[in-house]
Amino acid sequence: MTIWLAFAVMTGIAVLAVLWPLSRRLPTRAGAVDQTAFYAAQLAEIDRDLGRGLLEPGEADAARAEAARRLIRASAGAAPATGGDSEPALRRRRAASAVALSTIPLVAIAVYGAVGSPGLPAQPLAAREAPRAGGMGMAEAVARVEAHLARDPADGRGWDVLAPVYLKSGRAGDAVRAYENAIRLLGETPDRLAAYGEALVAAANGVVEKAARRVFERGLAGDPKSAKAQFYLALAAEQDGRPDEAATRLSALIASAPPGAPWRSTVEAKLAALSAPAASAAIANLPASEQKAAIAGMVEGLAQRLAQDGNDAQGWLRLVRSYVVLGDQAKAVVAVQAGKRALAARPADVAGLEGLARELGLVEPAAKP
Amino acid sequence: MSVEVGHYALALALALAVIQVVLPFWGARARDAALMSIGPAAAVAVFVCVLIAFAALVKAHVTSDFSVVNVVENSHSLKPLLYKVTGVWGNHEGSMLLWILVLALFGALVAVSRRSVPEPLRTDTLAVQGVVTIAFLAFVLATSDPFARVFPAPAEGQDLNPILQDIGLAIHPPLLYVGYVGYSIVFAFAAAALIEGRIDAVWARAVRPWSLVAWIFLTLGIAMGSYWAYYELGWGGFWFWDPVENASLMPWLAGTALMHSMLVMEKRDALKVWTLLLAILTFSLSLLGTFLVRSGVLTSVHTFATDPGRGFFILCILVAFIGGGFALFAWRAPVLKQGGLFAPVSREGALVLNNLLLASACATVLIGTIYPLALEALTGDKISVGAPFFELTFLPLALALLLLVPFGQALAWKRGNLLGAAQRVVAALAIAVVGGAVTVAVTRGGPVLAVFGVGLGLFLVAAGVNEVVARSWSRGMPLSNALRRAFGLPRSAWGSAVAHAGVGVVVLGLAAQAWSVETLVTLKPGEAAQAGPFTVVLEGAFPRTGPNFNEEAARFRLIEGGAAVASVEASKRFYAARATTTTEAGIRTLGLSQVYVSLGDSRDGALGVRIYWKPFVLLIWLGAVVMALGGALSLSDRRLRLGVPVPSRRAQASLPTATPAAAE
Amino acid sequence: MTRKQRRLALIGSALGVLAVAVGLVLFAMRDTIVFFYGPTEIAQKGIGPGARVRIGGLVKPGSMVREAGQTVQFAITDTATDVAVTYTGLLPDLFREGQGVIAEGTLQPDGSFRAASVLAKHDERYMPREVAAALKKQGVWQGEQPAAASDAKAVTQ
Repeated sequence: MTIWLAFAVMTGIAVLAVLWPLSRRLPTRAGAVDQTAFYAAQLAEIDRDLGRGLLEPGEADAARAEAARRLIRASAGAAPATGGDSEPALRRRRAASAVALSTIPLVAIAVYGAVGSPGLPAQPLAAREAPRAGGMGMAEAVARVEAHLARDPADGRGWDVLAPVYLKSGRAGDAVRAYENAIRLLGETPDRLAAYGEALVAAANGVVEKAARRVFERGLAGDPKSAKAQFYLALAAEQDGRPDEAATRLSALIASAPPGAPWRSTVEAKLAALSAPAASAAIANLPASEQKAAIAGMVEGLAQRLAQDGNDAQGWLRLVRSYVVLGDQAKAVVAVQAGKRALAARPADVAGLEGLARELGLVEPAAKP
Repeated sequence: MSVEVGHYALALALALAVIQVVLPFWGARARDAALMSIGPAAAVAVFVCVLIAFAALVKAHVTSDFSVVNVVENSHSLKPLLYKVTGVWGNHEGSMLLWILVLALFGALVAVSRRSVPEPLRTDTLAVQGVVTIAFLAFVLATSDPFARVFPAPAEGQDLNPILQDIGLAIHPPLLYVGYVGYSIVFAFAAAALIEGRIDAVWARAVRPWSLVAWIFLTLGIAMGSYWAYYELGWGGFWFWDPVENASLMPWLAGTALMHSMLVMEKRDALKVWTLLLAILTFSLSLLGTFLVRSGVLTSVHTFATDPGRGFFILCILVAFIGGGFALFAWRAPVLKQGGLFAPVSREGALVLNNLLLASACATVLIGTIYPLALEALTGDKISVGAPFFELTFLPLALALLLLVPFGQALAWKRGNLLGAAQRVVAALAIAVVGGAVTVAVTRGGPVLAVFGVGLGLFLVAAGVNEVVARSWSRGMPLSNALRRAFGLPRSAWGSAVAHAGVGVVVLGLAAQAWSVETLVTLKPGEAAQAGPFTVVLEGAFPRTGPNFNEEAARFRLIEGGAAVASVEASKRFYAARATTTTEAGIRTLGLSQVYVSLGDSRDGALGVRIYWKPFVLLIWLGAVVMALGGALSLSDRRLRLGVPVPSRRAQASLPTATPAAAE
Repeated sequence: MTRKQRRLALIGSALGVLAVAVGLVLFAMRDTIVFFYGPTEIAQKGIGPGARVRIGGLVKPGSMVREAGQTVQFAITDTATDVAVTYTGLLPDLFREGQGVIAEGTLQPDGSFRAASVLAKHDERYMPREVAAALKKQGVWQGEQPAAASDAKAVTQ
């Protein structure tokens, strides 16, 4: 509402500014509207300048003579001006007032109505940020931290805060860079190293590569009880075809687990999956090409089983992981979607599946932020 | 709220401009003083409204209000404050709003300068000015609305083109606009004179300050733009005969002609019709410049907008004003009382020649700029008209003109004496010849044209000095007397002497470029290349991070005669937000000369480097500043405004040589 | 001088200057104007070697070869025909394979093109006007994109 009030005030002032000259009593001399007035004024100005010493007397005389000559010529040819309070003049003024009074608001409102958006308040960035500071959206928070880091890239804490957020939102590459910066600026801690390794694994689509393995080993050296490092090293061993070592590590992890550790069940499931099919050990002994074919066959079998009976949350998780390990991103994404459909009745499992997808950096085409 | 207030203010300005045209014009026809006095009031009101709108846009940019499309597209919350402000007119919509702001400002200035302009002339002038304002406000509101909104507002803006994030570019469009728009006032005065059916020396005096202001700003704007291209684009040139540059040069040439023809009108009441024609032409060329740049018919650095809708609208404005202006001229010019004729050998005769040459030079530039567009439209053949064309056509005309300048300056009004004039410039001519000879001796040759250029530049500068000396000193006079008389000379006389000397300075700078050196090499750290008197050594290359870019910088050492004299740094920047690379030339100024280094690609540890040695290159832009200074001196002359004939007869009588004298 | 003579002098000098200007323009038009062609047009029109022309098109991906010094070889293509170009000097900032480019220079007897200058003017949404027109003829380029907020021009000579 205030905006319309402001518009009304502006329009009012504009109309008044234009009508104000009409209300003045103007000199009615004929000269007022012709050049004679101009030359008369010029003569006066010459005298004033002479008085102030801006002109030499000689110059002033010459100028005066010329202006006077022009004045005479102008007044000889001047048409008598109408105006003053004669009847036609008054009528003209009334008409002019009417025109100004109607045209200005009409044109202004019509034009503004066609292009304006009166309902939209100004939204300066500062004002937009201030009130939402408490419950700011994740994207905006990230953007603000990023903006801060762009100004001050040497702020390690900023990178430290940003890195896990990146990892959770599937930006594994950014997470890796952020952890590297944090480690460079704040130094190594076992936790940071473990998290960094996790980011590296995510960036490599779930494969624990050599670099990541070294990071985990360094982390474990710093804190032998680091569960994350231990777990990923087990994973590395499994992926490298050393299931025994993997099983040993996982067993040790379970043994040292504090009571009620939330990850305990995951590790136990992993250990179970590792030792259950002895086939995996057999496969490990096959030549590389056959190994891959064998694994693909197993995965295919799992996929078929799940297609018939999709009620196995663990099975879906394994399938997705397998596809990622095989390097088939597209199938992994499809598996996530299929799994979510099959498990729709159990939100907790759906969330687990989504969590895995995020962890592995699987992004569904439509769900891209 | 402020954004919409600005938006509404723009709509209100359009409404007020309609009133500014209609009621006072009616009043002027009816000779009704009351109605006529609405004109100035409305003009001031329009200015206030446009100022509010502009302030609102500036505020939106400064506060990063991303609910405004213009801000989203052309700003970024991390941009330095200075570039947030200059970014307001660094884009199409904002620059058009600036155009209108300057237009309204000039309208308001005419409105309040009550004493310098006769009343009916002022009324009609403001009415014509109002028509221009309406056209441009309608254009902005209909096709280039700077206040268009977006909801929901994006979280971040899209930054400004890094190549445009530069202080030179931030300053030069406003300078050019003041020039362009200044000629709109001159046009309005010309149209008013045609409507009134009367034109005389009073008219010339009323228009003179506007034409001078426009000329000064256009001169500075062109020089600034040229310097910007020189150091920002990174390829060492300062004038490319680019259509956009031509677009600003053409009104400048026509405006320069206008300035001189108005002098004839003021002093001798002649050349009236021609002056009006030039006034219309100059503004037409200003509009054409705006059209060429804004419509996107050309592809050039400055063309921020490529939108056929806008182009068509500007074309309509162009046709309406140029066509309307010339139609009015054809209809009303015969009504005007003809001025007198004069002897060919006289100051006014020389000024006519000046006008002819300037107009022809302007026409060649126009042909070179328009011909490729016309040819493509008609036959589909695509051609490019580049520097060789202009060097063959524009240059001879310009050289002929400049060669005649000192002679023209030396001629008296009414009836000149060629021999006398020649005698007056003989000293300057001697200096020029000696200077040319010394140049040949020192440089051991050099292009003929360049030696000639040096001579010409010296001739012009010397003639400028001579102009002041001859008018204040006669043989046997004590120096103190001469100095007193020199300071007593009218400022307009100083102005013309200084401005013409400034032209000479520019010519000197241009001629000196014949001796510039360009070297293209690949250097590894520690390696050296020769550029003019300097050995340039690459000290090393290193990466660097700036506020919103990463760059690869290289540092060079300049060695002259075995001693390191300076160092210079050049870089290549990468702006991630726009995925754009820019070349930041390294420029080292040594006296009036510069060493200019720009980087190419690096390969196998070796860096592609282009090194220029540009002797006396600063004279080019310095000369333009001197020219503008001359204009400012002339502008500050009070006497001309009052119509004081100078110098007075007494002073003239005491001078042995015939001096130019105002006559009537 | 009589009034008539003065008028004649004025008109005479005007015509004189005008004639000089027209003569200069006509003379310059003959020699200094550079025609613009696409690679296909070069092939079709049988432009002889030695003529100074501008060629516009896209830099053919994979065609860029850097030689000793600052010399570069690349091909300009409109997807139908290619022209091999040799150029010595710094390439503009925006020169990239697959992007629009204009080269000015002369055709060599062997059909290759020696460029004296190379211009690249574009961002990802923008193309030189002449290049866009030439490519449109070849049916490669579909319509103009809306206002590019930025274009940059880079020239090396």
